[in-house]
Amino acid sequence: MRAAAVIGLVAGFGMLLQTTLFHALPLRLRLSPDVLLVLVVFLGLHRHTLGGVVGAFVLGYLQDAASGGAVGLNAFGMVAVYALVYLTCRRLWVDNVLSKVVLVFLAAWVKAIAVLTVSGLFGAFEGAWGPTLGALLMNAALAALLAPPVFALLAMARLPDARDEG
Amino acid sequence: MEYLRRNRILLASAGLLLCSLLLVSVSVRSPNARDPVGRLLLDALAPFQVVFGWIGRGTGRVWSGYMDVVDARQQNEQLRAQVAALNAQLLRSSELEGENQRLTALLNLRGQIAGSAYGARVIGRDANPMAMMLTIDRGGRDGLRRGFAVVAPQGVVGQVAESSYTASRVVLLTDHNSGIDAIVQRSRARGVVKGGTDGTCRMEYLTRDADVQVGDRILTSGLDGVFPKGLVVGEVVEVGRSNRGLLQAATVQPSVELEKLEEVLVVDPTAKLANEPPA
Repeated sequence: MRAAAVIGLVAGFGMLLQTTLFHALPLRLRLSPDVLLVLVVFLGLHRHTLGGVVGAFVLGYLQDAASGGAVGLNAFGMVAVYALVYLTCRRLWVDNVLSKVVLVFLAAWVKAIAVLTVSGLFGAFEGAWGPTLGALLMNAALAALLAPPVFALLAMARLPDARDEG
Repeated sequence: MEYLRRNRILLASAGLLLCSLLLVSVSVRSPNARDPVGRLLLDALAPFQVVFGWIGRGTGRVWSGYMDVVDARQQNEQLRAQVAALNAQLLRSSELEGENQRLTALLNLRGQIAGSAYGARVIGRDANPMAMMLTIDRGGRDGLRRGFAVVAPQGVVGQVAESSYTASRVVLLTDHNSGIDAIVQRSRARGVVKGGTDGTCRMEYLTRDADVQVGDRILTSGLDGVFPKGLVVGEVVEVGRSNRGLLQAATVQPSVELEKLEEVLVVDPTAKLANEPPA
């Protein structure tokens, strides 16, 4: 319950940052680092429970609800990211900051590819691929940069790792 | 059952992926359908978004102001560098223009002289203030010899006193060792222009009854075998007539600004001037 509250708080804060502050900054590129994605990677690394996967779905669904696009796209992407991070950390030791940064960067690509693929399948994507991929690369890099402070923030909450023993 | 229990996270993920696809499908097929969660979220986030938006815009304004200052500073530095470069260019250009004018005048003078003449640059001056000499960058290698006349577009400069292989020393007409046979242009009175010690010359050996006035122009007579006839030497600025004696003398201001000379023409003593300058 405490974990859900902490992650919900960080998610709400992250969503506010994504929808307001980053857009208000006078940057030449329209960049918006995906804070919720970092949270989903955190869930995939430390919350191996049904609650974790549902949390990933909910975070994606919230992102969909706040984005105004087709509902379910980000939910799909987030669940895909959760599943891949879950599978990865069962086989690889992901514990230091650098490996988490790399994981978030790759997760950003996984999510982007998943979202674009589903969009393509349902005809919801009509943009040009070149600029989209450029923006994705920048956003993935930003999400990776954002990973250490978000992970540090969550570490301060001292949330224990949760695993449904199978 | 054991399989389901062991893989329930992956199975749940697969189920939620399918659920997501279903949501996308419904959302794409009925774009006008309102998402109730979306509306709730909008309402929940709105007040916070106002605050965060205000913070973001404030931060953005501060950032923009800072960037403007940085831009202005960079622009200022660029403009300063540009002004400095343009000033240097202007200076070079004006220097080249001056040189061009001087060389054109020298070339015109060369056109008036029938015979050998060599352009030369002044490369040095005598260290002794009493000696009125300068050094030019032409010497025996170029055919220059002692006794060659040295002139400028404004008039007589002096004559070659000594010539090495690559350079020559020129004794100016204001040097006390210099003597030039000259005439008063207006009255054709004859005398010898000799150097003084104060940067001026004196025209000596004028007969007592010679007609010389202040403002008269003095020309070379061509009788000394050094300077072609008709070159301007200078202008009479003072006439000294004593009550006694057979001769008189006049102070002559050289027509050439000898201190500012940069280029000269060295003329063979056998050369002639095509036209005498107008009075």
